[in-house]
Amino acid sequence: MSASQSAVRSRAEAVAVSRTFDWMILFTLFTAVLGGYHIHYMLTGGDWDFWSDWKDRRLWVTVAPIVSITFPAAVQAMLWYRYRLPVGATICVLALLLGEWINRYMNFWGWTYFPVNFCFPSNLMPGAIVLDVILMLGGSMTLTAVVGGLAWGLLFYPGNWPIIAPLHVPVEYNGMMFTLADLQGYHYVRTGTPEYIRMVEKGTLRTFGKDVAPVSAFFSGFVSVIIYFLWHFFGKWFNKTDFISGENV
Amino acid sequence: MKIIKDKVAKLSFVALLITMTAAIFYTPTASAHGEKSQAAFMRMRTIHWFDLNWSKDEVAINETMTISGKFHVFAGWPETVDKPEVAFLNIGIPGPVFIRAGSWIGDQLVPRSVSLELGETYTFKVLLKARRPGDWHVHTMLNVEGGGPIIGPGKWVTITGSMGQFVNPLVTLTGDTIDLEDYALDNIYFWHALWYAIGLAWLVFWAKRPMFIPRHIAVSSGKADTLISAGDKKVGIAFALGTMVLVAGSMASTNEKYPVTTPLQAGLMRGMVPIDMPATSVVVKVEDATYRVPGRAMQMTLTITNNGDSAVRLGEFMTASVRFLDADVLEDESGYPDDLLAEEGLTSSDNSPLAPGETRTVNVTASDAAWEVYRLADLIYDPDSRFAGLLFFFDEDGNRQMVMVDAPLIPSFI
Ligand SMILES: [Cu+2]
Repeated sequence: MSASQSAVRSRAEAVAVSRTFDWMILFTLFTAVLGGYHIHYMLTGGDWDFWSDWKDRRLWVTVAPIVSITFPAAVQAMLWYRYRLPVGATICVLALLLGEWINRYMNFWGWTYFPVNFCFPSNLMPGAIVLDVILMLGGSMTLTAVVGGLAWGLLFYPGNWPIIAPLHVPVEYNGMMFTLADLQGYHYVRTGTPEYIRMVEKGTLRTFGKDVAPVSAFFSGFVSVIIYFLWHFFGKWFNKTDFISGENV
Repeated sequence: MKIIKDKVAKLSFVALLITMTAAIFYTPTASAHGEKSQAAFMRMRTIHWFDLNWSKDEVAINETMTISGKFHVFAGWPETVDKPEVAFLNIGIPGPVFIRAGSWIGDQLVPRSVSLELGETYTFKVLLKARRPGDWHVHTMLNVEGGGPIIGPGKWVTITGSMGQFVNPLVTLTGDTIDLEDYALDNIYFWHALWYAIGLAWLVFWAKRPMFIPRHIAVSSGKADTLISAGDKKVGIAFALGTMVLVAGSMASTNEKYPVTTPLQAGLMRGMVPIDMPATSVVVKVEDATYRVPGRAMQMTLTITNNGDSAVRLGEFMTASVRFLDADVLEDESGYPDDLLAEEGLTSSDNSPLAPGETRTVNVTASDAAWEVYRLADLIYDPDSRFAGLLFFFDEDGNRQMVMVDAPLIPSFI
């Protein structure tokens, strides 16, 4: 036992150093996830998340959960199998929402002057908490994927409804009916986003009539289950320590 | 220890940089000055904007102005661009400096995408309400699916006042008066803050205890099961149940508060009504056309036949929003943007009135710096080196006829 083998001299010091590491790792994880998840979500969910007039009952409900369960699944894999920490999904969503709010407030509003009530992000928190708790209670990837993935899809629309409902109030404008969200899209000119790019209320679920949102949510939940499995394995693989030399890492 | 600490610090810094890039990099397109970089053939052979009018040069916050005029959908639409079967009448401004209070093709409000026919001419009007002070270049614009934005001429408009005064009042079908500018904003902030706080509470619950190294040691030494206590599970169940109760409860209360909601409105609008342009009695044949690179001028040899009953003169050649006028015949009184107007840019070897029944072959030159400034000369480097434009003829009573020309263009470098 020599000084070169241990960097600390006492238990108290070890605890303090360990705690310092906690905060550093947490901060690093948070910011790295923020960057990666944010870019991923912008590229895949993009306009559906940016604009209120894209937040429809079919495609937004379907697409947003499917593309957003990715990082939570991967980070859960890492934090659970290495540290038994059931906070992976929540950390991801906290990081993503922080990044999104910075972007929407600083860029969309602060730089380009789109009103915040037009370009606010979607709420993913209810699904994240439930996903983490299911992992903690069951301790099983399969259970989390199936039950948690489904819950992730199902909780998305109701979790966002209190936020978007006021914008779905109808209004008559120059002889046509709009929702207020549609009118936002029409009023607040987006030169680079012509109306035909908007993918809303399209799809093959017409026969379900009014109840299209629950059907979309179920479909989204099913696909989320599959994506969860896939990204859970990405997380495990990414989390391997094969590339680091040394024992007992 | 020091080395590891440095490494972690370095890594944190890298992560922070990634974050900043990700968070700050993306801004929705605000610029509307793509007009010069758009391929010349796109501007010459797709949409021809004419008879344009910007109702004001200066407008105060909350006041409105209109941009109106006509556009002709060119029959010789290039094959490389999708036809305007799905198109959207947009407006080229740097972000929402105005709100688009209304837009019409013919008499039809066009908040959504429309289907247009090749060879037809449509009237349009865009009503803008000033929102943000500044000097803005306001372009006409039509987006075509599969073709991209087709930008028309732009004119500088000054908005005066302060953005804080801007209001966007509306009365909903449920009878409420709202200001769309900040409507429901508190509600959005409230729910996002509440859910963020709940998520943060869950994280803090776990972050309050030693997190990574001791837990990792415990997991590696087979004591993973000791890391989640019965108490933790109870708290977890409370969080999950609380989440579901809050979701269900807030959804129910929202439905009570907003009993009337409708889905987003979408779908292509068909049946845009074109205008009947006066029948043309003038027939123009392009014998040849050359672009003289050093002289920044286009020369056309035209054989013009007048089949009407009134003598006509050529007053204007317009292509890619640049208007070349023969000052003897036509003077612009619409306040067309200077940089796109060549008031004496059109000369003809013989522009005396062409009598009914007469045919004449003339050399017509359209010259102006705009060929260079607006990069129209780049046309000669296009894969299909053709030009297209509109010729306007005027009879003695001032009646106008519009004739399309579309022909190969040969560059001349000497
Ligand atoms: Cu411009």
